[in-house]
Amino acid sequence: MTTGIIFDIKEFAVHDGPGMRTTVFLKGCPLSCIWCHNPEGQSSVPQVMRSAAGVRQVGKEYLPQELATLLNRQATLLKVGEGGVTFSGGEPLMQADFILEVMDLLDDLHILLDTSGYGSERNFRLLLERVNLVFYDLKLIERQAHKRYTGCYNDLILQNLQVLSASGVPYVIRVPLVPGVTDTNENLTSIAGTIKDMPGMLRVDLLPYNRAAGAKYRAAGVEFKAEYDENSPVNANVVLFENAGIKVRVT
Amino acid sequence: MNQRINELKHRVRDGEHRVLRKKEPIGVLPECEAENLSWMRRVARLTVRQCEAETVVIEPGERIVFSRTLPSEIPSIYSADDWGHLTAGSKLHELGPINNICADWGKTLAQGLVGLSKIAQASRERYKDDPEAVEFLDSAIETMEAVLVLASRYAREARRMNCEEIANILDRVPANPPHTFHEALQALRFMHAVVCLTGHYHVGFGRFDQYMWPYLEADLESGRLDENQAADLLAEFFITLNKDSDLYPGVQQGDNGQTITLGGVDREGNEAVNELTYLVLKVSRDVGMIDPKINLRISPSTGLDLLSLATELTRKGLGFPQYSNDQVIIPALVEHGYSLQDARDYCVAACWEFIIPGKGMDVVNIGAVSFPAAVDQAFRQGLSAGDDMDGILRRVEADIDRQVRQLASSYEHLLLPPAPYYSALMTDCLERGQDLSKGATYNNFGIHGAGSANAADALAAVQAFVFGDGSVKPSELLSALDINFEGNELLCTKLAEGGPKVGNDDERADFFMIRLFEMLADACEHYGRTSRGGILRPGSGSAMYYIWLAQGHEGMQEPVVGATAEGRRKGNPFGANLAPSQGVQIRGPFSVLLSYAKLDYQRVCNGGPITMELSDTVFRNEESIRKVALLVRSFTQLGCQQFQLNTLNLDTLRDAKIHPQLHKNLIVRVWGWSGYFCELSPEYQAQIIARHMYQIE
Repeated sequence: MTTGIIFDIKEFAVHDGPGMRTTVFLKGCPLSCIWCHNPEGQSSVPQVMRSAAGVRQVGKEYLPQELATLLNRQATLLKVGEGGVTFSGGEPLMQADFILEVMDLLDDLHILLDTSGYGSERNFRLLLERVNLVFYDLKLIERQAHKRYTGCYNDLILQNLQVLSASGVPYVIRVPLVPGVTDTNENLTSIAGTIKDMPGMLRVDLLPYNRAAGAKYRAAGVEFKAEYDENSPVNANVVLFENAGIKVRVT
Repeated sequence: MNQRINELKHRVRDGEHRVLRKKEPIGVLPECEAENLSWMRRVARLTVRQCEAETVVIEPGERIVFSRTLPSEIPSIYSADDWGHLTAGSKLHELGPINNICADWGKTLAQGLVGLSKIAQASRERYKDDPEAVEFLDSAIETMEAVLVLASRYAREARRMNCEEIANILDRVPANPPHTFHEALQALRFMHAVVCLTGHYHVGFGRFDQYMWPYLEADLESGRLDENQAADLLAEFFITLNKDSDLYPGVQQGDNGQTITLGGVDREGNEAVNELTYLVLKVSRDVGMIDPKINLRISPSTGLDLLSLATELTRKGLGFPQYSNDQVIIPALVEHGYSLQDARDYCVAACWEFIIPGKGMDVVNIGAVSFPAAVDQAFRQGLSAGDDMDGILRRVEADIDRQVRQLASSYEHLLLPPAPYYSALMTDCLERGQDLSKGATYNNFGIHGAGSANAADALAAVQAFVFGDGSVKPSELLSALDINFEGNELLCTKLAEGGPKVGNDDERADFFMIRLFEMLADACEHYGRTSRGGILRPGSGSAMYYIWLAQGHEGMQEPVVGATAEGRRKGNPFGANLAPSQGVQIRGPFSVLLSYAKLDYQRVCNGGPITMELSDTVFRNEESIRKVALLVRSFTQLGCQQFQLNTLNLDTLRDAKIHPQLHKNLIVRVWGWSGYFCELSPEYQAQIIARHMYQIE
């Protein structure tokens, strides 16, 4: 029996996929993006958050049956429209075995995987067999820049992108727009070039940088250093995508 | 909204019209005494004199007129001594005058005051040997004539000012049935305002989209109006309802009961949503003022387009619409003795209570059972006596029964003052020759069940820690409660954070909430019929008791409770209506709905909404608006009764505390109504800031 570690379960997550959804945030992420707004999702062990509101333990272990029961209780609501469950993180690929066991126990719910794509190809393929929709992040195409800003090279991510496009599972490419880092015309052009003509892609979502990104760092005991101007407007250049024949929207 | 409407709105918000108000009430008492008038006659005289004393005010740009110039205080018609004798041994409901019901506006408009007077005349002929009926009918006729005189004074002034349109309209209404939507709005404004002028309050507008639609439909079909012109008139009508509402009595500013109910089904059960339903929602969204407060009747089959439009009002932060689920409410009313046709015709009274327009003389808010007090005394007595959980629950049950009996018996000698004018606007008071104060078709009482989540959480905590793992000793708990957890912070935290909570779809807590409402419903049934021939309707609203029960209030019989076993410190407010206890960890909106879907709303039928606050970040785009609409629809599918969704931005609320002048127009939902945040007392502001807010990011 695998246990999972979860740092949040959010009901009625209106910005995490179609319909009414509950999002499960799995704790632990191999990346450490400098703009990450969920720093408590990075470490894969429980930790303590300290803030003016008090001290709070973040990260709770769940048995697959325990999580499945909780989600199945909401099935009436999650089956409305195109709703369902979203597995996000952290990085859900890191807990693929746990998620697979949970999915076995779920009551026929629409499942969305929200991933950075940084994980083993085997795990990714196993999950793709079971999920209905994927939100796939593409941050930076230039290899060194990816290493610099996320702590990892993007080789695995670009490989898994090919696996995804060949899988037949519909997906949305999500690009976080960080001022001067990911929102440069150069990077956006590279992203558009990479995904142009990929089968199965529904659209690209451009996600403007969340200025509250640094809010939780202090509580998580991590230093937040914005290596970019948080206040400069983001370059949501949709034209670069439209010109490549890609459906795009800013959310 | 065009410039004319914007100017009207700003004038009202700035209170410019208030300078025309008189400071002192007129004197009516001397003539009442000199002529030794009966109570009925005195009320009629009051109505006449108030109408006569109104100064005619027609402001620039107005197309719907009437501005009240008489003060909030209603002139006395009895000396203090005589009033004392008159009411000795009786119970007055709140301030006394009939309130919190709804007239039969459809019939009233369709007849016009002249038509109603004819009905009264015919009745008078029929009852000519019954002096009481004759006196009532004569009084009703006299009051209606006074309204007509007031309207004709307005007409004269309009003509003098060359406002021909207004003058022509007032030549027709409210005397005769309106020909147009404009006339209908003007008639309604006059007839409603005069009800308030005689001391009645929480005067509802009922099913506005039903009784007004025929007038609008005829205008649209004949081309007299297009949708924009109709919206313009409706916007002006809504703005006029914000003119005098600060003069109406209420617990807090904004608690004025000017509600309208939209949608639902007609008396035959057919879908009743029409174009006016949509127009009211659009105009209310665009006008953005606290009155009228909108209730929307929905069912699982209500269209998402209507729910999305309604959600746009929620997004604007108006604190309405409040949703009522026909599928649950109509059968529950039938179960409680309402005819099927009448049940289908229900509307919402001032806050959430269901009432039948024109036929309901129910007193829907005789008081509240304090669940926290019942649980608190059960712990104090039961834990010392060595009770088990069943023993504790038996004590709770007995105390709830006692509270219900006490409340209801205090209303056995309810004394409603005569109301000849209001009676004329009801469905059949004139036909029956009987004043409304003697009763109408329905004469039930409603009792709120307040503080349910806290009380259930307290029971669940004791079950878990005293009887369950034994980690808390009864004596330790009782003494900690006595000293407000001073020096025992650990216990307070354990109870507040460690125990099962209502709102998390957790059987261990929800079980007790269900039991509490069953006990309330049982107690109401045990009580049987009241002296007015009605029953007791148990409800799930809290009204202002979520503050009063915690902090005390002079106008209250219910006991105040100190610190409570769910880890709530003394003085902290309870959750409003159906909402989790404040400050506890709640998973989110789905779990809250699933918890409250377990209540038996066929028994708990007086109304009282699930109250939920969403962060304003939820409403970012059309897609998320649609999802909120889905959430509203799901509430009906789960079989819940009533739903109140609000949106809040905590930063804005906190800033409004510091810089009230910058947030004059900030609107919040309080318990069953919306008001301006900066006009609320600090304890109500604090409770709103402490509510659960469901963040989405």
